[in-house]
Amino acid sequence: MNDFWVLAKKELMSLVRDRRLLFGLIVLPLLLFPTLGHVIGVGIKAARGTTQVVIANFDNGTYSRLLIKSLELAPNISVTVINASTIEEAVKKAILMNKNVLVVVPSDFSKRLSAGMDATVYVYGIFKSLGAGIKESVGEARLREILSVLNKVIAKIKLEQIGVKNPSVLLNPISMVSYSVINGKIVQISPTLVSAAISSQAVSIPLVVFMMVTVTAQMAAGAIASEKENKTLETLLTLPVKRTTIVSAKIFGTATMGLFSTFAYLVGMRYYLGSVVAGSSVSLAELGLKFHLGAILLLSFIVFLTIVFSLALAMIIALFAEDVQTANSLTGVVIVPLSFPTWVLIYTSLDSLPRPLQLLLLAMPFTHPIVDYRRLLMENYLPVFFSVLYLLFLVAVTLSITAKLFSGEIVLTSKFRWFQKK
Amino acid sequence: MAMVEVLNLEKDYGKVKALKGISFSINEGEIFGLIGPNGAGKSTTLKILATLLKPTRGRAEIAGHDVVKEADRVREIISYLPEEAGAYKNLTGYEYLELMARLYAKNEGKAKKMLELGVKLSDLGEKLDDKVSTYSKGMMRKLLIARALMVKPKLAILDEPASGLDIVNAYEIRQIIRRFSRIEGVTFLISSHNMLEVEFLCHRVALINRGQIIEVGTPEELKENYGTKNLEDVFIRVIGGERCE
Repeated sequence: MNDFWVLAKKELMSLVRDRRLLFGLIVLPLLLFPTLGHVIGVGIKAARGTTQVVIANFDNGTYSRLLIKSLELAPNISVTVINASTIEEAVKKAILMNKNVLVVVPSDFSKRLSAGMDATVYVYGIFKSLGAGIKESVGEARLREILSVLNKVIAKIKLEQIGVKNPSVLLNPISMVSYSVINGKIVQISPTLVSAAISSQAVSIPLVVFMMVTVTAQMAAGAIASEKENKTLETLLTLPVKRTTIVSAKIFGTATMGLFSTFAYLVGMRYYLGSVVAGSSVSLAELGLKFHLGAILLLSFIVFLTIVFSLALAMIIALFAEDVQTANSLTGVVIVPLSFPTWVLIYTSLDSLPRPLQLLLLAMPFTHPIVDYRRLLMENYLPVFFSVLYLLFLVAVTLSITAKLFSGEIVLTSKFRWFQKK
Repeated sequence: MAMVEVLNLEKDYGKVKALKGISFSINEGEIFGLIGPNGAGKSTTLKILATLLKPTRGRAEIAGHDVVKEADRVREIISYLPEEAGAYKNLTGYEYLELMARLYAKNEGKAKKMLELGVKLSDLGEKLDDKVSTYSKGMMRKLLIARALMVKPKLAILDEPASGLDIVNAYEIRQIIRRFSRIEGVTFLISSHNMLEVEFLCHRVALINRGQIIEVGTPEELKENYGTKNLEDVFIRVIGGERCE
C-alpha cells in the first residue's frame, strides 16, 4: 500500500468513527427526510379524505334543497344538515360536532335565484388549532368545485326555461385539451402536471447541492483544523511523505464521505418528496426525460469536481484557523454566501435570466451541478463540456494553492482564532 | 562524523528575532541537549531542523543534507517529537503505531518489524487496543516516544520529551531514550528546560538564551568551568543571575 492509500485509509477511519459526523452526514438525512415526508404525507392524505360539512339551511326553498342534494351526492364530502336560528348557533354546533366546514344558506337564496338574481352561500372554515389548515382549505376548494357544477346546472335549467336548444354549448362554447412539448417531442400530459414534476426536481437538486457543499466543506475544514487542535499536524508534516500526498489523501477521504452523504441526502429527499407529492405528479421518465449511462457518469464527475473544489477551498480557509470551531465558522462565512445564489435556480431557469446574472451564476462553481443536471436531461451536451472544463480549471487552481500553502510555514504559524477560550 | 551541522542560523518572526546566528554541531550517536528558558529559541531551532520552519539566514545540515533544499531527504532520516504532540483520537494506539510504521517503512516486512518495536517501546500492553482518546497524558507521551523511536531514525529530535509528566513517567521515558541510544546508536537532539533531566541524559549540552548559544560542552566540563555542582547553577551564572545557595 503506498503512502496515499495509507493516509486515505486513516482519514476515512477517523471520519467513520466520528459518531457525531456519521449521524449528521448519513443517518440524519436517511431518517429525518423520509420521516418528515411521511408525517406531512399522512397530514395531506387525511386532509384529502372526506370533508365533514355542516349545512345550516335558513332557506328551505327549491334551490337550497338542490344544493344540499348536490353536496350529498358529491364524492369525499359528508353532509350533516343542522337546525339553527342564528349563524352563531350554527358555528357552535359545528364546533361541538367536530366538523371542518360550515355552509350557511341564507333565507333569500331560492327567492333570488327564482327571480333571476344572483345568490350567495357563506362558507366558514373551522380551525381547531393553528396547524397548516390543509383540511379547511381542501374543504373550501371542494365546495367551490361543487358550486361551479351547481351554477352550471342552474344556468342550464334557466336557459332551457327561456327556450335555448343546446344550453351546454352556450355555457361552454370552447373546451381545451392541453399537451406539452418537451425536447421537441409532443407528450400527452398537461403543462400543469409537467411543471409539477419539474418543480419537485427544481427544489430538491439545489437543496441537495447546497447541503452537499456546506457539509463536505465543514468536514474538510475540520480535518485540517483538528490536526492543529489535536497537535498532530507538526508530526504529520515531518513524516517522509510528500505534502501533496497528505493534501490529496485528506481530500480523497472527505470527498468519499461527501459522496456517501450526498447519496444519503438524495435518497432521503426522494422519500420526502415521494411522500409529499405522491399521486399528484408524473415522473420524469413518463415525460421522456431520462439519463443515459454517459450522462449519469458525466453528472457524477461534475458533482465530484464541485465537491473537490469545495473541499480545497475549505482547506485553504482552515489552514489559517487555530481550532475546529474557528475553521468551521470561517468556512461557513465563505462557502454559504458562495453557494446561496444557487437557490435562485429553484425559482427560475438560467436561460430566463439577464445575461450578466447568468454569467455571475455560472461563475459560481456550485451552480454547475444544478444547471448541468437540467442540460443533461434536455440532452444539451455542449455547454456541459464547457462546464467540466471550467470546474477542472477551478479545481486545479484551488488544489495548487492548497498544496503550496501546505508546503509553507503559514500552516504552522497562522493561528487565527474566532472565539477566545474562556 | 557530524550528524548535525548548524551554522549562523537566524530566524525572524516579523520584527522579533527568535534566533540570532546560532552555530553548533552534533556527533553521530551523541545525545545532545539544548537547554534554556521559555522563549530562548529551543523549539524554533528544533523546528528548523525538523524541516517545519525555514531559516531567515544561515544553514543547517543533517547527515550532509540541507534542511531547506533537501527537506524531503531529511524527513526520511529524522523523527521529530514536538513538545505539545497528540495522536489521532479515533484510532487505537496500535493502529496509530501501524499507520506510522507503514509511512516510514517502504515494505511490509520492515513495517512489521517497526510495529513490533513500537509495541515493545510503548510498554502499553493491552491498552494499545483502546482508542487514543482514552489515554492519560503519560500513556500518550509513551506512545509518541515509541512512535518517534521505532523507526530507528538517524536523528531523533525530541522537544521536551518528559514535558508535563509525573516523576515515574518522566523517569521511564528517560530510561527508554538512554537505552535506545546505547543499543541502537541513534543520535538525539533533546530540548529541555529541566536541567537535571539534561544532565542525566546528555553527552553534551548547549546553553541557549534570547536566541543565542552561550556555552557548549559536556555537563562535567561546564560544571567544572563554572565551579558549580549542577547545570542549573551553571545556567544561572551564564545568563548573569545570582547562584542560589
